[in-house]
Amino acid sequence: MTSLQIFLSRLRALFQRRKLEDELNDEIQVHLEMQIEEHIRQGMNPDEARYLALRKFGGVDQVKEIYRERRTLTFVETFVRDLRFGFRMLRRSPGMTTVAILSLALGIGANTALFSVVDAVLLKTLPVEKPEQLVLFEWQSGRPFRVSGMSGTSNVAVPPGHRGLSMFRNDVFQQMRKAQATETENPLSDLFAFGPLADVTVKVGNQPEVTKGQAVSGNYFAALRVQATVGRTLADDDDRAGASPVVMLSYQFWQERFGGNRGVIGQQLTLNQQSFTIIGVTPPAFNGTLQVGYSPTFTIPLAIEPLLKGERSNLGGVWWLNVMGRLKPAATQQQARESLNSPFQTAALAVMPPPRKSNQPAQIEVKDYPQLIVEAGGRGMLDRRKAYAPSIYGLFIVVGLVLLIACVNLANLLLARAALRGPEIKIRLAVGAGRWRLIRQLLTESLLLATLGGVVGVLFAYWFKDALSAFTNEDTGLLPGGVELSLNWRVLGFTLGVSLLTGVLFGLAPAWRATSLDLNSTLKQSGRSTSSMSRLSKGLLVVQVAVSALLLVGAGLFIRTLHNLQHVNLGFNQENLLIFAVKPEQAGYKEEKLLRFYQQLFDRLDHLPGVRAATFGKVQLIANDNFINDFLLPGETEATAAQHETMRQMVRENYFATMEIPFLRGREFTVQDNESATRVAIVNQTFQKTFFPNGDVLGKRITNNYKKREVEIVGVVADTKYMSQRDDIEPLLYTPWKQEATDIGKMHFALRTTGDPAALANQVRQVVHDLDTNLPVTEVDTQSGRSETTLAQERLYARLFSIFGALALALAGIGLFGVLAYSVSQRTKEIGVRMAFGAQATNVIFMVVWQGMKLVLLGLAVSSLIGYVLIRLLNSQYFGSDSWQQRMKQQLYGVTIGDPLTLLTIALLLTLVALIACWLPARRAAKVDPLVALRDE
Amino acid sequence: MVRESKHEVLPGTLNLLILKTLATLGPLHGYGIARRIEQVSGDLLELNQGTIYPALLKLEQMRWIRTKWSTSENNRRAKYYSLTPAGKRQLAKEEEEWERTSSIVTRFLNPAEK
Repeated sequence: MTSLQIFLSRLRALFQRRKLEDELNDEIQVHLEMQIEEHIRQGMNPDEARYLALRKFGGVDQVKEIYRERRTLTFVETFVRDLRFGFRMLRRSPGMTTVAILSLALGIGANTALFSVVDAVLLKTLPVEKPEQLVLFEWQSGRPFRVSGMSGTSNVAVPPGHRGLSMFRNDVFQQMRKAQATETENPLSDLFAFGPLADVTVKVGNQPEVTKGQAVSGNYFAALRVQATVGRTLADDDDRAGASPVVMLSYQFWQERFGGNRGVIGQQLTLNQQSFTIIGVTPPAFNGTLQVGYSPTFTIPLAIEPLLKGERSNLGGVWWLNVMGRLKPAATQQQARESLNSPFQTAALAVMPPPRKSNQPAQIEVKDYPQLIVEAGGRGMLDRRKAYAPSIYGLFIVVGLVLLIACVNLANLLLARAALRGPEIKIRLAVGAGRWRLIRQLLTESLLLATLGGVVGVLFAYWFKDALSAFTNEDTGLLPGGVELSLNWRVLGFTLGVSLLTGVLFGLAPAWRATSLDLNSTLKQSGRSTSSMSRLSKGLLVVQVAVSALLLVGAGLFIRTLHNLQHVNLGFNQENLLIFAVKPEQAGYKEEKLLRFYQQLFDRLDHLPGVRAATFGKVQLIANDNFINDFLLPGETEATAAQHETMRQMVRENYFATMEIPFLRGREFTVQDNESATRVAIVNQTFQKTFFPNGDVLGKRITNNYKKREVEIVGVVADTKYMSQRDDIEPLLYTPWKQEATDIGKMHFALRTTGDPAALANQVRQVVHDLDTNLPVTEVDTQSGRSETTLAQERLYARLFSIFGALALALAGIGLFGVLAYSVSQRTKEIGVRMAFGAQATNVIFMVVWQGMKLVLLGLAVSSLIGYVLIRLLNSQYFGSDSWQQRMKQQLYGVTIGDPLTLLTIALLLTLVALIACWLPARRAAKVDPLVALRDE
Repeated sequence: MVRESKHEVLPGTLNLLILKTLATLGPLHGYGIARRIEQVSGDLLELNQGTIYPALLKLEQMRWIRTKWSTSENNRRAKYYSLTPAGKRQLAKEEEEWERTSSIVTRFLNPAEK
């Protein structure tokens, strides 16, 4: 207790320094006066009296010092004093201070912005109660099973060791839920499911638009413990087959479309032409539990989903639901898994037929049964988060490197300055200041610098994160769309940590060195220092150069990749092409009606002024879109051969002419190729070369496994790129639209325009609206714009590497300049001597420049070594096709990592910049007047 | 004249001396306490008067004495120290400690009594 009391009184004293100091002075003053008086009374004269009084007292200052130390928290006082001193030192060299703070701020700011990405995408937990209790279910099976997913049917085999599948069938989920609910001992308090509903037409007022939402089980909100901001949440009662259709809106949607009007509760909302009653609004921060970046605008009960999707309802056997649960307080994930594995297996086996390969046995062994996996669910769906992790972390490393360079730069500058203060420091050490004390003082200075850099860095971070959000989107693969980046306490805590760390890092080395130099050598103003640039300083410069080189090479490679991709031959003419998509089924069109609708639409589009030709295709080109079918070659049956795969496209008759794809052989589609005629197809050259290598393809019939249709190949066209600029050309099979009445669905239109395609966008929307007010027009763009968007990731990388590389180079250049300038200033005398002995200006320049260039060359050598190791690493066979290393390699296009042209260019660029950085101080050296220099002895 | 050597104040005993002085004489300023200690010890104690102030600070931090600025005999503003109840208790304790320690030592030095 007493030590606490003492601490408190010391703490109090801290704030009353001035007053207490005065009091002490007064007290001592009075003491002395009284003693002097007594002495005078005893008969001494005033001087003697005073002298004796002082002697009796003892050392006044010493007493004061001891008193002071006892009175307050000395370490706080010294810290404050160091801080003040630090401020003064920084103010003394405002130029260096500003450069230092700015470069630190840039580095720290960039790191902070990126950390906010890491936080938002990878770390943030769901805004629900006790997210740590949530678990996520996935499953695996050792044997391939045929599974109908949302994008089609395929064979699924996810052997143990790989990430599981997170999709479940509704009936399987219901069985699991029944098992969980009936078992009182079950470790889960709730089991719930949710699934995405993309591409839904919602009509607010007169305007239809396409949006995305989700369907959830009745206990979804109860399990998550999320309340509605307005109205009520969905409940189990709403999740019944015959229940009245209800919907919840997302907070953002409610604000944007309904102006935050509370009166929407009870009103009707039209989704896919069906009427739903709005019963509530979800809370502002709640974005659902689906993939990161997928924010559902509406939520409906699972049982009502068929109303929206009609025949295409996923409840009829599609694996599309995500399943999560909430653990009871003491339960573990393992318990949850064990309790539900059996019900899951039974239900799954009942609905999964084995794959259709004829050479596989029909009986499945127990060990190959599908198995349930449980993972922590506090962050919602993890799959996509994990997919983003490598690129985010990769970028993080790059940015971290830039910060490193800034630190190294600063360390260099501080080293130089510390050496300048060498004599001062030596003297202080000599008169007894503790070494540790001095280091503390120097460290305080660098920490101060780092903290200031951190504060300014937070400001930069605001701009950087906004820039990051603006410049990345779904397509770049760096940031998922729709993610909100915020500088919350976690991120700011990170900033603080990084600032302190950098402060210590770049402060410690100079502080250590400054206080450890041999006493003798610096106290004397020795004529020639053994090396005017210490080895540490040189080492730091080499590192800077090496890192800049690596970053710049990265930039060069990505720029070339981007350039190559932008100039790839696509196989068709992408200029002056307006593209858009419509999905008439959403407005109720089917088969006959659908074909008629499209015909009507074309009638109008063909005659739209500014449109030279109008066509469409099922798949949008150069947009990472695809459509694949299996088929059998003539003479093959399912029993005798395995299926082949081909890319697919359904087109209008004028497709090849409009897209300007050269037609090679046979005949094009005509309007006669309709439902009543023979089914025909046209293939691309690669298809012909792959499956009919002897060239004889016209007239051949293949069996399309999809609906078992036979088609006759009547023509061959030139190859085009399909999914993106960089993919290899795959076999492609085209069929005429009129023969695809049942499958045609959503189509992607392409209009060849006479002028700027974007100018026609509104007219096109009007044309569609005139035909049907319930049909939204989506994905409106120009083809060249769409192609550019597909390159978003490459563009981003090129830009980022360039920015960071340039920044790194600038920092390295400044560092080189600073250190050489300092070195020159230290060697003035030596230079004077040389010149006195006949050295020319050019000799001096050469000497200084070589001093710097030596380091640059060494830096280039180091970076080459690192680069070489990196290339070997990436090329090694250790890594599977899934790993990030392989993906890194696949980022480039048309250049290899060791591309000589790029490497040479960067090396030259670096050398040039370095030469300039060296030449400036060299010039100053050459101007040294030998007489003046020598006289300064 | 042979000067008797002065004894230095044993560390730790200064507290005791101060507390006792205040107990005996009542509230006193720093100078007064220092002079009193010198007098009572018959000027045999070599005390740097100044050292009393850090000691007084410590006693104040421990809440055994309290301070008050007041006017002295000769109309000076001086800081007066006085014992607190806790200080009185501490004094009693330390006196007892001292008695015990010194009696043990005395017994050691006078082993004659059997």
